[in-house]
Amino acid sequence: MRASDDYVPPQRSVLERILIRSWEYRRLRFWARLRIGAGFVLVGLGFITLVGGSFTPKAVVWAAFFLVLAALQLSVGYWYLAIDHRPFARRVRELERSRARLVDDSAARLRQIERDLHDGAQSQMVAVAMKLGLATKKLRSLTDGTGQTDLERVLELVDAAHRGAKEAITELRDLARGIHPPVLDQGLGTALATLAARSEVPVELVIDLTERPSAAIETIAYFCAAELLTNVTKHSGARHATLEVAHVPGLLRVRVCDDGCGGARVEERGGLAGLAERVGTVDGRLQVASPPGGPTVVTVELPSHA
Amino acid sequence: MRIVIAEDSAVMRAGLAEILADSGHEVAAAVGNAGDLLAAVAEHHPDAAVVDVRMPPGYTDEGLRAAIAIRRDHPKTGVLVFSQYIETRYTADLLGAASGGGAAGVGYLLKDRVADVEEFVEALSRVAAGGTALDPEVVTQLLRASRRTDGLGMLTARERDVLALMAEGRSNAAIAGILVVSDKSVEKHVGNIFSKLGLPPSDADHRRVLAVLRYLES
Repeated sequence: MRASDDYVPPQRSVLERILIRSWEYRRLRFWARLRIGAGFVLVGLGFITLVGGSFTPKAVVWAAFFLVLAALQLSVGYWYLAIDHRPFARRVRELERSRARLVDDSAARLRQIERDLHDGAQSQMVAVAMKLGLATKKLRSLTDGTGQTDLERVLELVDAAHRGAKEAITELRDLARGIHPPVLDQGLGTALATLAARSEVPVELVIDLTERPSAAIETIAYFCAAELLTNVTKHSGARHATLEVAHVPGLLRVRVCDDGCGGARVEERGGLAGLAERVGTVDGRLQVASPPGGPTVVTVELPSHA
Repeated sequence: MRIVIAEDSAVMRAGLAEILADSGHEVAAAVGNAGDLLAAVAEHHPDAAVVDVRMPPGYTDEGLRAAIAIRRDHPKTGVLVFSQYIETRYTADLLGAASGGGAAGVGYLLKDRVADVEEFVEALSRVAAGGTALDPEVVTQLLRASRRTDGLGMLTARERDVLALMAEGRSNAAIAGILVVSDKSVEKHVGNIFSKLGLPPSDADHRRVLAVLRYLES
C-alpha cells in the first residue's frame, strides 16, 4: 500500500470516514464496479420477472424487490466512485507541501529584504540626515553669529553625507536588482549573459532557448543560475565553469558545471537545499553530481510554464 | 552628560558619537550589542544610554530588553530607545517599565529624529534629567489606540495639540514655543485638559506625561 492511500480528505462524514478506513475502501474501484454491475443485473432481473410473470401481483412484488435492491447497489456503487479521491491524494499532498514551501520561501525572502534595507540603505540615510543636521546646526550658528564655526568641518560633514548618500543609492540599486533584475525583462538569455559576464570565474555560456518560458520560471531559473555561479566562485576553487540553458520538451533545463574540487551536497538549511525548495515550489527538480575532487554538475529542471 | 551608545550599525554609531561630542557631551562608550551595553552601563554609570531596539544576536528586541533592565538596575541612568519603526508593544513595555519603576527617565524615538540634532540632544537631556521623550508617532498611536474616547471627545482641537505635546514630554514653555502662543494660555489649556480628563494637576514634566499616559492607556 502506498503512503498516499492513507490520505483522508478533510470534512468527510462519519460514514465516509468509517468506510475509508475499512477494508473495502482499499479496493474501492473494484467494489464500485461490482456493485454497479450487480445493480444493472438486478434491474434486468426485475424486468424479466415482471414480463416473464405476466404482471401477476406476485411477479410485481418480486420485481419491486429486485428494483429496490438494484437502486441500493447502484447508489452505493456510484457513491463509492464519487468519494474515491486516491488518484488525487498524492498530488494534493504534493501541492500542500509545495505551497507551504512557497509561503515559507517568500516570507523568508521578505524578511531578508527588510533586514537588508534596515541594516543598509535605511541606516545609511539616517546617518546622512544626521551629518546634514549637524552641518546645518554649525552653519546656522555662523549666520546667527552665536558661535564660531569651522567651515572646514562643515565641508567635511557635507562631504561625508554626500558619500553616504551615494553608498545608499548603490545599496538600494543592488537590493532592487536582487528583488527583480531589470535585465530579466529582456529575456532569460540576456540576463544570464550579464550574470555570466559578472562572474569572477570565467563562464562559458550555452543557451538554447526556442521559446520564452513564463516570467515566474525565468525568475527562478535566473536566481538558480546566480546562486550556482556564486557557489562556484565561493566554494569550488574552479578555474572554469559552464552555464547551459536549454529547452527540452516541456522543461527548461539549467545546468552549471565546474572543474573545481567537488564535494557539493544538498545539506539541510544549506544553500542548495534552499534552491531545491524554491525549485520544488513549481514542481521542478534539482540534481547534484559532485564527487570529491570534482567536477561538479548541478542540474535544475523546471516546467517551462508555471 | 556622560552617555553610552548601543547601536549595531557602525555608521550610525559613529554619527551619534559625533553629534553628541559636538554638542559638548561625553560619550563614555559606544557598543554594538545588548550584552556590551549592560556591561558598559555597569562600568561607567552614565547619565543616559542611547539604545537601538534591534541588535545582535537575534535582531529582535534585545535593545529594548536591555533598556528595561537598565531602568530596573540603574535608576539614575535615563534610557533613550530608538528604532526604525515605532511598535505599540515596545511602547507599552517601555512605559510599563517607566511607571513601574516609579520614575520616568525613558524616551522612545524614531531613528529619523536624530537628524534634527538640537531636538534630539534636547530629548536626550530631558531623559537624562529623569524626564520623558516620546516620539510624536508614539503619541499618535497611543491617542489612536486609546479606549478613553469619552474624555478625549470633550477636548478642543487646541487642547488635543497641547495634550499630544505634553505626552511627548514637553514642558509648558516648550509647548508655548511650538504652538506660538503665550505661556499663560498653555497653562490654561493644560488646566482644562487635566480637569476634563479628571487628572490631578502636577508640575514636573515627567509626572504630567505619566498622568496623561496612564489616562490614555486605562
